[in-house]
Amino acid sequence: MPLPEPRRSQALLAAWAVLVFALSAVTDLRALAVAGGAALLLFRRGAPRALRRAAIAVLPVAVGLSLASWLWLLLVAGAPPPAGPFLSLTARSAVIAFATFSVLERVRLLRALAPFPTLGRLLVLTLAQIHALRLLATESALGLRSRLPRKPGTLDVVRNAGAVTAALFTLSARNARDIADAMRSRGFR
Amino acid sequence: MHVPDGFLSPQITVPAWGAAAPLWVWAVRRTFGASATEMLPAVGTLTALAFVVQSILIPVPGGTSAHLVGVAVLALVYGPLASFACESLVLLVQAVFFGAGGFTVLGVNALAMGLLGPGAAWLVHRALRRFSERAAAFAGAWVGLQISTLAISLVLGLQNRLSSHYLPVPFPVVATAMMLPSLTVVGVVEGLYTLFTLSLLRKAKLLAAP
Repeated sequence: MPLPEPRRSQALLAAWAVLVFALSAVTDLRALAVAGGAALLLFRRGAPRALRRAAIAVLPVAVGLSLASWLWLLLVAGAPPPAGPFLSLTARSAVIAFATFSVLERVRLLRALAPFPTLGRLLVLTLAQIHALRLLATESALGLRSRLPRKPGTLDVVRNAGAVTAALFTLSARNARDIADAMRSRGFR
Repeated sequence: MHVPDGFLSPQITVPAWGAAAPLWVWAVRRTFGASATEMLPAVGTLTALAFVVQSILIPVPGGTSAHLVGVAVLALVYGPLASFACESLVLLVQAVFFGAGGFTVLGVNALAMGLLGPGAAWLVHRALRRFSERAAAFAGAWVGLQISTLAISLVLGLQNRLSSHYLPVPFPVVATAMMLPSLTVVGVVEGLYTLFTLSLLRKAKLLAAP
């Protein structure tokens, strides 16, 4: 019988936290292949999307660093280093990323945080503020692009980022005051 | 800049979590107070600010782009403990809502990017601001970024030293891959950004004069 919410999300989150720490200790390629296969089987719904996201998040860093290191070790030692550790590094990162994306898609995070109301409120507040402040940053970037007859260069964007950050500081200070007042008026201490 | 999951073993990530967790509680209480109405709005809005600043992409020569870190500004305006609390929450939000960065490596990333770098930026700024406020802001941000990057490189180097079978990436490769862009381009961009932001905040009289 499936667990009811928020128990299901809490159990999934706890299992995920243990799983990623356990996976981060594995170096054996066969064990990683078995873990990857099991994760694919367990999270087959939405697997292509999670695989794509994991590949984008992991492969450029893992493959880039592996190639650079392989060449470096070849130059230093004069013989090609074994490929196993590089493959296991890439596989480990990819399996963890796949499991993370798959679990996060299935978890109702804010409901799972019900036993920790302060953390839950903090995350809700932060996400709402990210949305509000992001609108300002996006509008500012679009405004910069529309004002300049050419593509904005590095210095243009850095100057604009400085200006938008100053505006964001003002806005976030005002929002913090407003939220604190609203919380006090609703009986929070 | 931050380390993804799978690059560091529990030998390093578990002690880092152990070191960071009490520091998070202390930093939040010390900076924002213990009451919910004081602490939650301030941490939430400043974390959102740090998150949004980090999503601003700067085109750099060579056709690619780099993102701002922006915690140096937070450290210079509100102090290093505030920047540590907010950057840690940014990393947590990125890890659990967007799958970026990592959960196991959260302690390492938070200590390097949220505490050591901004702490160094704050110290350098305090030491140099009597000579020139602008130079101090630039130097603080530049040094802070180098310290964060160096800390991450050293941790990856330590992992390679502990087990080259686990992380077969030697320290010279990590250091070159991370420090070269940081020393040449990203550090300068971060320094200029911090300089512009602090100048504007001062011009608009939103920041107290030192």
